[in-house]
Amino acid sequence: MKIPRSHMRRPLAPALALTAAIVLVGTACSSGGSGTGTSTGQGASQGTGPSTITVAVAYPAPPAAMLDQFTKQTGIKVNWVNIGWDDLQTKIAAAMTSNAYFADATDVDWSKVGEYYKTGWFLPLNKWFSVSSLRPDMPQLGTFIVNNELIGVPFDSSFMVTTINTKDFEKAGISTAPTTLGNFSADLKKVATATGMSNPLDIQLATAEGLSTCWYQMTAAFGGQVLSAQYAPEFTSPSSPGYQAMNWMVNAYKNSLVPKGNINVTDYDGFTTEMAKNRVAGVLCDYSGSVASIYNVASSSSVVNQTEYVQTPGATGPGPAVANPDGIGIPKNARNPQAAAKFIQWFTNTENQAIWAGLKGQTDVVPTFPLPARLSSFALLSKAGDIGQASQLAAILSAHAQPPFPNGAPPWYTQFSNAVQTNIHQAAIGAETVQQAVNNIASEVQQLKASG
Amino acid sequence: MNPTLGRRLLPYILISPLVVFIGALSFVPTVDTTVEAFFQVMPLNPPTRFTGFGNFRRLFANPVFVTSWVNTVVYAAIGVVLSVVIGIVIATSLKRGFRFRGVVLALVVLPWALPAVVEAVIWNWIYDPNFGVLNSALHSAHVIGGYHVWLGLNRWLTVTLIEIVQVWQITPLSALIILAALQAIPPTLYEAARVDGASSWQSFRRISLPMLRPAIAVAAVQALVLSLNIFDQAYILNGIAPLGSSVMLQTYVTTFQNLDFGGGYALSLMVTVATALLSMALLALLYRRTEAAA
Repeated sequence: MKIPRSHMRRPLAPALALTAAIVLVGTACSSGGSGTGTSTGQGASQGTGPSTITVAVAYPAPPAAMLDQFTKQTGIKVNWVNIGWDDLQTKIAAAMTSNAYFADATDVDWSKVGEYYKTGWFLPLNKWFSVSSLRPDMPQLGTFIVNNELIGVPFDSSFMVTTINTKDFEKAGISTAPTTLGNFSADLKKVATATGMSNPLDIQLATAEGLSTCWYQMTAAFGGQVLSAQYAPEFTSPSSPGYQAMNWMVNAYKNSLVPKGNINVTDYDGFTTEMAKNRVAGVLCDYSGSVASIYNVASSSSVVNQTEYVQTPGATGPGPAVANPDGIGIPKNARNPQAAAKFIQWFTNTENQAIWAGLKGQTDVVPTFPLPARLSSFALLSKAGDIGQASQLAAILSAHAQPPFPNGAPPWYTQFSNAVQTNIHQAAIGAETVQQAVNNIASEVQQLKASG
Repeated sequence: MNPTLGRRLLPYILISPLVVFIGALSFVPTVDTTVEAFFQVMPLNPPTRFTGFGNFRRLFANPVFVTSWVNTVVYAAIGVVLSVVIGIVIATSLKRGFRFRGVVLALVVLPWALPAVVEAVIWNWIYDPNFGVLNSALHSAHVIGGYHVWLGLNRWLTVTLIEIVQVWQITPLSALIILAALQAIPPTLYEAARVDGASSWQSFRRISLPMLRPAIAVAAVQALVLSLNIFDQAYILNGIAPLGSSVMLQTYVTTFQNLDFGGGYALSLMVTVATALLSMALLALLYRRTEAAA
């Protein structure tokens, strides 16, 4: 059968034009964010004025009543924008590169301090904050100082801990917390036998920042650090703590101590679900604050009041706790830096920090807020009934917390972290040996250092 | 104003807002990207300076970049073939009137209406190796003996599973484009074929398929564009692991994580050029065949 030509022919030119339009709009939509002309002034369009500031952080807002009280006291209205951490970093980079307004106060992650110092994207806070008076009360303040410039003020004191399920350990006849990694592995195997768990240990092994920080933590547990003070690799020798830490993590996965799926669980919620649902009995490189904000939340956890923080077991004894706090700073394009500084002072003061962590009950808690940045806030929480095991965490924080890099995060930290996470991940899935992984990371460090 | 002149200008006046809109959102960034691709733009290594093909050379020296391109080609191939084939099947099924057709049509469109991030999160749970629905279903049906890790271990399995999520999202649009074209085919053609003794399959092959080729071409091009630009699904299901990385994912990592904006521009330019060339090639190929069939 033959189809009439009148039904068959379609002009090609309009179709080609349509194709071109689809291609251009499609690629523009997909890659639009890469342009330095991108405007990210999400907050700018919302009622900014001389006494209104936009605060963009990866946390839910404090209670509205408290923000209203702040407005009454200072005349400063706060426009709170809660953005996911990864998106926030993208928006900061895009806004700063295009010299556009983004927010008056925003996140300064510990890992970004070197980068922000070098790029000058954030205002030094020294004229608003006294470093010497804050330092004794904020053990992690040093993480945010480069060449005496205060780039951000810590507003939480997140650090790495090990969490164990004491009920599961008791079932296996273990009553004392493990202090070495050898003990910990043996204990976990006993727990697996006693409880029927297939893979009792939770470690992040997916290509995400959590894998990098876990390696720094495990390296510290083996008694070392990954980079020297001059940012030289210290992990290439098989006898080095960094090499041994990576080897231990990879073997823990290969020996089925860790759930097979962990190589692909990129989000922290998915990672902690294993513990919350009692599918594991121990978590390495857990965040301080998980017990109160995740494992003891009855609506989503089946291990309420069963978990406990312990110091991360090391090669020969308990290791230090690697600190990775969040800070808040003022971008160079802030419209109202003075008001932003006042807000940061309020947001990080002793009582408010304790309130965000539960001093006045659950109603004023900022969800997912890990721990206060100030020791004086911990003291308030301890006095009020040791809320969230505050005294134990304060002891770890003041005595054992240490930054992952002795001289602060290097400016090229993000590239370094990408190399770390992708190579450890490759080693875990067997695509590389541990030796190849450390060599690749070391090679990346050399290139990054050479390129400035 | 002269009425003839007014009539002549009217189309241009009507189309001008669209021209301004597309110009501002597409052509200006495209030109800007093209120029900046030849500059080193690194906030950590200022100042911005002309580097010729330096950004491109640096990208090609990176093995992850090559892996990402190969993966992206596979994403595109799977995306175009599956979305068009499934789109034809759905459109052919929906052409016939049946009870609850409207409801079925709405359900078919649903994946297209959902944001890609939401879909990727849903599929992340489906593929979850510890408690995912896929493992549970296959285990219950005795297809697998134990729970499997679907993503992140095997490169091609990872790429295929990520692309399935993309196909799930883009196929409804292909189906709608093809359905619209299918409904525009004059019924007299089918009646004539029936009189000539043609079977349903012969009618589909000799009437529907040739008549649908322009629509199939458009559906294939939109599937190609979306698959070449795959990002959300790959990022959420696989992170930045090279195993399932796509070119757009590398663009994001290069630009916003490595703060190599020049490299990001170069990658964007390459994707745009590749998308345009492949789309034109696909379209030209399908149209030629249509005319040959006539």
